[in-house]
Amino acid sequence: MTAPAERMSADNIKGELLAFAAKGGALVAGVADANAFGAAPEGHRPGDLLPGAKSVFVVGGAQPRAADWKSPHASFMETSSTSDRINALGLRVANQIERNYGYYALMVPAGVDRGRQPFVSVAFAAELAGCGSKSIAGPVLNRDHGFMYYSALITTLPLPADGPLEDPVCPAPACVDMWDEHGTTPCLATCPIDEGGCLGGCIKDGRITETRYDRARCTTRAQTYWAPGFQQALQATLEEKDDAKRRMIINSSGFTRTLWSMTYSNVSQGQCFECMRVCPVARPKHDLR
Amino acid sequence: MSFFFVDPEIYEKHKDDVLALSQSIQVNYPEHLPPDQRSPALSDRQIAERLGLDERTVREIRCVGEREYYDIEEYDRAAIFKETQCRAYAEKGLSGITAKYVERARAAKKD
Ligand code: SF4
Ligand code: SF4
Repeated sequence: MTAPAERMSADNIKGELLAFAAKGGALVAGVADANAFGAAPEGHRPGDLLPGAKSVFVVGGAQPRAADWKSPHASFMETSSTSDRINALGLRVANQIERNYGYYALMVPAGVDRGRQPFVSVAFAAELAGCGSKSIAGPVLNRDHGFMYYSALITTLPLPADGPLEDPVCPAPACVDMWDEHGTTPCLATCPIDEGGCLGGCIKDGRITETRYDRARCTTRAQTYWAPGFQQALQATLEEKDDAKRRMIINSSGFTRTLWSMTYSNVSQGQCFECMRVCPVARPKHDLR
Repeated sequence: MSFFFVDPEIYEKHKDDVLALSQSIQVNYPEHLPPDQRSPALSDRQIAERLGLDERTVREIRCVGEREYYDIEEYDRAAIFKETQCRAYAEKGLSGITAKYVERARAAKKD
């Protein structure tokens, strides 16, 4: 196959792909160098999944709406998931690269591998592609849009990399002020690791210098009604000797909700948004009439 | 049973070490921190080498250990946490979340 890409510069191809992604609904897009993932665990770098990988193309978008953030019902965002839309777009960009330019393009699956690790960290890819910077709360935040979902594809197509942002988005100026005055930030105050939450850290000279994150506890909140919640409920059911109590567990609202959530979802679910709800990055976009 | 699962005795013996080395609680984990400050988790293979186990056994111990780290009560607390935070924010905005810190900081300044 003669790849049309051979007659085009890498800059032009990148421009076409960025335009394609924007037309498909991406709020941001960028390119990471496939060889820049040295800080990722072994076995979880682009070249481990696709030999000869040169670039990682990242698209971001599919944000919750302003009204989703506004709703006083936590179970509303717990139940909504929009990440599948950005994954669909990532897949379309991958098809575009293979069909139009004749290079391999491997979409990083949204799920996890056998050891429950991400195949490649999409968050790290988004950071290396300059789409945003990793926040003290975990998600990669974009300066203009705040929290969003990302999708990444690994390709043998060489593209100019954007590289990470020089000036991180988190902590936001308002958070630096709050840290200096009260020793906390909105996200850390929402879910403090020393008071039964998941997040801790330190800010010095306007930069994150330390982080602490209770991943296991965050799982109970972000996947309350998903696979981990189901495994807990199943365990409780199997351990219960009393027939009547067992029926109560099986038909309980919690167990039912877990099944509902699992069977209606083909995407990874993030069921807790409380640290992001209070984040000031791109806040004016949440304030509508 | 036809799928691999870890022997409960081996699990109990190594669970704490595996969870500590794989950082169930991550301290200075993010990739963007300077290398001399970062403490990323060890991979399953690295943990296996350190504990004299095979990688597959470590992976299973980690997966089961992560699930068992918090019991079902924590899932119930999780649902309450989300309801409480979301409602407090809807009713009072950021001050609903941060008021206690502001009060603490004020009290500390008075002392
Ligand atoms: S997602 Fe929820 S549980 Fe996890 S850190 Fe944020 S507020 Fe805490
Ligand atoms: S509230 Fe947002 S910007 Fe502020 S420290 Fe937390 S994640 Fe960073």
